[in-house]
Amino acid sequence: MSTAYAEQLPAAGHIPGNKGMWAGILCEMTEFAVLFTVYFTARVFFPQEFRAGPSDLNLYAGTLNTLLMISGSYFVVNAVIAIRENRAGLSVRWLVLVLLAAAGYMLTKYLEFGWNTAHGVTAGNGAFYTVYYYLTLTHMVHVGWGMIGLLWIIVRTRSGAYTPAEHEAMESFASYWHATDLVWLIIFPLLYLLR
Amino acid sequence: MTHKQTVTLLWLLLVGLTLGGTLLGETAQPGYGVMLVIVLTMAFKGRMVIDHFMELKNANRLIRRLMQAYFYVLPLATVLSYVLSDLP
Repeated sequence: MSTAYAEQLPAAGHIPGNKGMWAGILCEMTEFAVLFTVYFTARVFFPQEFRAGPSDLNLYAGTLNTLLMISGSYFVVNAVIAIRENRAGLSVRWLVLVLLAAAGYMLTKYLEFGWNTAHGVTAGNGAFYTVYYYLTLTHMVHVGWGMIGLLWIIVRTRSGAYTPAEHEAMESFASYWHATDLVWLIIFPLLYLLR
Repeated sequence: MTHKQTVTLLWLLLVGLTLGGTLLGETAQPGYGVMLVIVLTMAFKGRMVIDHFMELKNANRLIRRLMQAYFYVLPLATVLSYVLSDLP
């Protein structure tokens, strides 16, 4: 880590956001670890289905959502950097970009599920498809919770609630959003790429 | 390099890796080599988000280790389940 970079980060040993949010994030990661365990177990018992399954899914929708999740994470870290520089207006603009990325994710998911139905891809088709719907719908719900939190953070940032010295709630939200991005970074290769 | 420059560079790298993964998923014949590339990319992307986007690189040790462990355990479980599902 370069000196310039290290100087711009919070003090060593800090907790981004607050401990309560981290308890929530670790619960979220545990919840998805259980779902991933279901995926791994089902893959061992239904190998043919899991080898064939990804070819039935819309890879472009999965790719677009990965790009939107990664970009949302990038936008939110910039929103945090902006508030540390005491630039609330710029921070709001970055947060609006996060909201647009999240809305794009939701729209893509809606179109993807419609595409699935048109191509006969339903949860009843077998173990792979059940796991696919279970994982992606659960992830979608977490993005939905994040969007509600994001709207609150945008309102608070606009009203000048956060300063370079005090922006714990924004860091908490950012940590949650990154965790949701991390989960998708596992879902995407498992469901769309690994044949 | 500043924090802002680092995250911008990483964002571009993550976008590139995602598009590369899609190309691989669409064109490459499935097999152990492709599986390893996919799993290593998953682990690398996760680590970059944890260290730099989440800013855990110099953060609380327990939180950092728990999050980093996730991206050792899950990729290993992926390899294990892939190998086991391939056994006759």
